[in-house]
Amino acid sequence: MKQRTLWSVVLATGLAVTGCGSAAPTQSSPGEPRSKIVVWDWKSGEPGVTSYIEKAKADFATKHPDVTVEFVAQPFDQYYTLLGAATQSGKGPDVMLFNGGGQIRDRVDGLLPLDQYVAEDKQRLAGWDAFSKDGTIYAAPVTLQGHPIYYNKSLYQKAGLDPANPPKTWDEFVSDCAAINKAAGAKCFALGNKEGFGIQFFMSGLGPGILTPKEYDDWIAGKRDWTSPHVKEIFSLWKKVNDDGLNNDGANSTALFNDAFALFNTGKSATVIGLMSDVGHWKDFGEFLGADQVGVMTAPVVTSGATSVLPYDGGIGYGVAKSTKDPELAADLVRSLTSTGALTAFYTGAGAITSDTTIDVSQGAPAVAAIVPQIKDGKPALHVALSSTTLDLMGRLSQQLLSGSVSVDEAVRQLAASDKVS
Amino acid sequence: MVRSAAAERTTGARFERPGRHGGTGGIPRGARAERLAPFVLVAPAVLIIVALRLWPLLLGVNFSFTGDGERNGTSVGFDNYAQLLDDPLFRTALRNVGLLVVLLPVAVAIPGLLATFIYLRVPGHRLFRGVYFFPAVLSPVIVGAIFNLMLGFDGPLNAALGAIGLGPIDWLGDPGVAMFTVIGVHVWATFGMALVVFLAGFSTLDAALLDAARMDGASLPRIIWHVIIPGLSRTIQFVFVTTMIGMLTSMFGLLYVMTSGGPEGSTYLPEFYVWIQQGRMNRPALASAASTVLFLIMLVVGILQVSVLRRAGRED
Repeated sequence: MKQRTLWSVVLATGLAVTGCGSAAPTQSSPGEPRSKIVVWDWKSGEPGVTSYIEKAKADFATKHPDVTVEFVAQPFDQYYTLLGAATQSGKGPDVMLFNGGGQIRDRVDGLLPLDQYVAEDKQRLAGWDAFSKDGTIYAAPVTLQGHPIYYNKSLYQKAGLDPANPPKTWDEFVSDCAAINKAAGAKCFALGNKEGFGIQFFMSGLGPGILTPKEYDDWIAGKRDWTSPHVKEIFSLWKKVNDDGLNNDGANSTALFNDAFALFNTGKSATVIGLMSDVGHWKDFGEFLGADQVGVMTAPVVTSGATSVLPYDGGIGYGVAKSTKDPELAADLVRSLTSTGALTAFYTGAGAITSDTTIDVSQGAPAVAAIVPQIKDGKPALHVALSSTTLDLMGRLSQQLLSGSVSVDEAVRQLAASDKVS
Repeated sequence: MVRSAAAERTTGARFERPGRHGGTGGIPRGARAERLAPFVLVAPAVLIIVALRLWPLLLGVNFSFTGDGERNGTSVGFDNYAQLLDDPLFRTALRNVGLLVVLLPVAVAIPGLLATFIYLRVPGHRLFRGVYFFPAVLSPVIVGAIFNLMLGFDGPLNAALGAIGLGPIDWLGDPGVAMFTVIGVHVWATFGMALVVFLAGFSTLDAALLDAARMDGASLPRIIWHVIIPGLSRTIQFVFVTTMIGMLTSMFGLLYVMTSGGPEGSTYLPEFYVWIQQGRMNRPALASAASTVLFLIMLVVGILQVSVLRRAGRED
């Protein structure tokens, strides 16, 4: 009995003492130069990017023949969990792949500012904003990720519409959808919102047609006016589209990747807000519908005064850990991974629209030829400006909006509060 | 061999006694070794538990009192816990734990009832015994993927419902339904194990009692209530405990594959919350706080279960 009391006292004191809080382990500082660089990503295992990795490795080997580069492909689903755990315990990689936007901005504490190393590439590559925080660059963009609105040209034809001349305004868009539904029985949008990603695509894809240019720029610059009627319009339109039956049924239980895209691929929906790179993009759709049948339209204008621009950001990019032993070497690898030769291989191999604006795509599919010229005037996507906490909340609220368990006003109020904190 | 060991033990005890009563007098060497021996012998086990279990646990609890992001490493007191209580997602997760506890009797009754039918030799009972156990060998990921297809809004189940004139149900997209769907699938996937335990229990049941009840003309519900349940009380308690543990610790895979916590965050469980905060939100300290709360819940549940099992043992 006495022993037991003693033990509980020991345990309790231990808890109390350690409970006062102590520092998380911090990274150790440089030692001898290492001859091996470890890269983490979720891409290098995919067949389409093999030639890209090889090109980048070859480029790096010409500059540093004595350094070995090890690519570790992690499963994307757990990538940030694994990365977080590895960094926390000081066993993180030297160079790592990031999604642009919130995912990298939340983690800049452990990243090396790259401005001085990538100065030469700044003109050649696009999409830096998604990898910068407060004017400092933390990763170099590899692909561009954006949200073109793809449409099925053959469905437009079937409904007696001109597939080469997609709708310009929201009213035209809705009436075209009605015609297609009548002629082919297809829904207007293919929407997958099981993970809450659907709203992100919707906001960024249609946002340019809803917000005025000034509101748009302010939003990106961090001055987000959640009380603006146009911001509210994004969410009321999201609800209205669903209430009016323009979406496929059961959007809240349809996975965006890839059930929603499958609906578009099989002609069950006429339009989908897709991606530019990775998956759910022109190349995937072209394989099912035929490259000539995939059209790209700009956001139909909802608010007068809004101008449709291509919403895009840096998609994925490589950053360097602060803890790396030889920052210059690691930054050099990042430069090799974003060299024109490597990125050309990425474009031809995986169909990604890369950050390198000097690559010639005029021989590509019609959809690519339609997207790439818009890059010059494009703007960052609306949802990328939000923190991952706010995006998570927005995902849940968007599901509630569809099921009717929250009002648009309440949703916008909660989002405003979350956006203010983060 | 045995005898000599026993003899040694006796000698040891004899040596010890004068030592204890000797007061300030020198303790014989053999006695000291004898006294230290048990500590030395348990030391490896204790060290392993302390180094690999208790110490990390303390580190985790300690970490939960520090901040995330800009406040990384600084002490923030109970901020993380306050934030947890404030977070509707975490409250949903706790409520879902409550729901699991409430649905526990159902999860135990299903294998119990099916095992009864098998025991009572319904036609085809041999086939059912194999069929029922089959899902228990499938991994949650496979089960989840199968049911994702089955329960899709345009999936076969809704098509079948439509054929008999019932409206489609959004099994995984309706926040009022999704948690029940996932629990249902979990029960389907795991009841085979409980069924086997029940069948083992039945083999200890006195068949004479059943025969006597039948002779007296008792109906099936009465046989179950008055003969089978009392006869199997210890088995039932055991299944209760193991099913509870299974529900609290192994739903993650299914949740991950089937709903990812959605729709509207309605299918969160604490472990899923921990994973999201650590991985997607990059908030390891908050995740540690949530883990600590989960640990405390499991501690309470575990102590209750141990006491139930102990009482069951005493009845024996």
